[in-house]
Formats: sequence, C-alpha cells, structure tokens
Amino acid sequence: MSAPTRSPFADALAALTRQRGVLGSMVVSESDGIVVDSNLQIGLHGSAVAALAASLYRKARLAAEAAGFGACGFFQLEAERGRVCAVGRNDLVLVAVAEPRANLGLIRVEMLKAVETLG
Amino acid sequence: MSDDVRRWSDALARDPSSTVFLQLGEALRRQGQLDLALRVALRGLERHPHLAEAHDLLARIAADSGDLQRAFDEWDMVLRLTPRHAGALKGMGFVRFREGALVDAERYLAEAAECDGEDASIASALQHVRAELAEAGGGGDEPDDEAAPAAGEEWAAPAPTASGDDPRTLFEEVVGEARQAALLLDASGLVLAGAYILADGRDVAQAVGAELSGVSDEARRAMRHLSLGDWSSIVIETEAATVALAPAPGDALLVVAAASETPLGLVRRVLGRAGERARGWLAGWP
Repeated sequence: MSAPTRSPFADALAALTRQRGVLGSMVVSESDGIVVDSNLQIGLHGSAVAALAASLYRKARLAAEAAGFGACGFFQLEAERGRVCAVGRNDLVLVAVAEPRANLGLIRVEMLKAVETLG
Repeated sequence: MSDDVRRWSDALARDPSSTVFLQLGEALRRQGQLDLALRVALRGLERHPHLAEAHDLLARIAADSGDLQRAFDEWDMVLRLTPRHAGALKGMGFVRFREGALVDAERYLAEAAECDGEDASIASALQHVRAELAEAGGGGDEPDDEAAPAAGEEWAAPAPTASGDDPRTLFEEVVGEARQAALLLDASGLVLAGAYILADGRDVAQAVGAELSGVSDEARRAMRHLSLGDWSSIVIETEAATVALAPAPGDALLVVAAASETPLGLVRRVLGRAGERARGWLAGWP
C-alpha cells in the first residue's frame, strides 16, 4: 500500500500554524476560493475562511493595482477578535488567521518565507 | 445593524407595500450584500415605480457594483421625478468623474452644492474636481487615463495652502514632510479631506480613493461571516507603497499611503494619528 500523497505546502503550513496565536493557515485558490491545503486548529471553519479571505485579498489586490500602487504583496486585516493575513502568488493565496494577541511581525516573516512554496 | 435588518425585513414581510424597503436595501448595500440589496430595491420599485428614493437606492447599489452606466441612468430617473435632488446630482457627478469627464462632473456637483449647501462631501468633491480642472487648464471632457498614479510614481506631501480651513490640508501635520499621504473618504468613495499629490503636482486623491473604497465593504462582509467583530485596520503592502485603511465615523474611510520603504509600524502609527484627526474633524460637522 503506497503512502498518502503529501502536499508541497504541508511543511510551510505546519510551521506557520505553530506560531503563537495562529489559529490556522491555508493555501487557497484566489480565483474561486477553494482550499488547496490547510492546517487548522479545531473550531476554524476552513472553507468559509478560505472563500472570504481569498475574496478579500483579491479585492485588495485589484484595488491597489487600479489605484496605481502596482503588485500587491502582504495583506493584513485587524479586527476586534482576530487578524487575517494573506500573501499571494500565481493565483494561490497563503492565508493565516490569528488571535489579536499574535505576534504579527513573526507571522509576516514566516508567511513571506512560506509564499516561496507557492511557486 | 443586523437587528435593524431583521426588524425591517419583518416589517416588509408584514406589509410588502411599505417603503421600509428603502432602509432595508440601504442597510444591505452598506453591508456589501449587493445582490440582496438589489433584489429588495427591485421588488420595492415594482410597487413604487415613481418613488425617487427607490431609484436613488438602485443607483447607489449599481454604483457599488461598478455598473456606472446603470447608476447614472437611475439617478437621471430620480431627477425626472424630483428635480434638483442633491443625492442624484452628487451621484451623477461622481459617475462623470470616474469616467474622466471633469467638466460634466463639475456641473453636476455645482448644482448639487446649490441644492444642499450643508453636505460637506459635495463641497469637498466639488473643490477637488475644480482643482483638477484648473490643473488640466479647464481642459475638455476627455477621459483622464492618468488620474491614478503609475506604480512607483513619486508623490509629495500636500502642499501648504494659505487657508487653514482647506480640508485638503487636514492631515498635513500628521503626514509631515515624509513621502506619505492621507485621505478621508465618504461612504461613496468621494474625498472629504486630505490630498494625494504626486511629485509633478497632480492631486490623485479622488482616483486613489475611488479605487480603494470598495475594500472596506468587502472587509465588513468578511468580518460578519467570520465572526471576528468589526475590522479596525487593513494594511496592504504593494510594489510602490504601503497602504493602510481604517474605518471612520459615518461610514467614512481613512486611507494612508506611504512609500514602500517606510517601516510598517510607522505607517500604523500615522494611521492612528490620522484617525484621531479625522474623528475630531468629522465631529465638528453638524
């Protein structure tokens, strides 16, 4: 019996979700919001987060481009009860959802490293 | 807001001929639920085809959806039903501005200002369009393809003006001499205060604001579904700049843009200070 296929994003997602305060991370298709791979803590609804985060990132990317700021890199949203971070490449978006207390600087560094795995 | 939506939905279910669909549709529009808002507006229009406010609602939904032609047509209908409707004139001015037809935009906004001299957003938009017209030498109505800055294009801090009451200088002290700009936009994406001046002297505040204003609707929608509460800031790092957004009172939106090499922490600090400034300024309006 052959071993299950391991996603090329698995290690990066695991490293990201290990960061303090990170509730989950995932790779999402930007165009349709479908989850490609994820590493989530219990209680996080991956498909909903994926669809909404991808849509939000896409909107921000297109708006930034239309406003003349050029290609979009790292995106972060802060809300009362959490943070959403995203960075995209090649129609894929790496998304992390974190608690408000999470260290944003560390998450950003980890995500910018991990985005290299998106090709 | 969701309590209001529920209350208005119930009221409409009890009495489908009620005009409460206006409040319901507007609330849904502000929440970014444009498809639902459109259905509510269209159903209301079936029963109240001659109600100017219903066409106004439909126009705002169309504008949010990016369908500027439909928005313009609906506002045109509003004017037929209620001549000198300030909201419709302002909306038509906004559409013409987005299309680059500055002379037309100025005409509509000037008429809107005559009809409602107390609406700060109309006065600010008119001032902005007139400034752009002056820069263009009173130019024609050809679309201005260079309204937004090109990626990496240099910008300058807002130029000091003689009048301390000029809303374009509201954030001057906050952004300082650095390569930063701050804008305050109303719910329609029109500039209320602040400036975004490129190194060649062009103020591209309206073009930048119009493009970025839709992001806040999307954020509101996402936060509602994710149960993360109200959003307080968004930071977008791009090739040319770091752009930070924050909500402001009255569905306004604050935008700060800084050169991409500006430390992120500093951008967030400027956003916070600009927010305080904006809240103080908005509180001064009746």
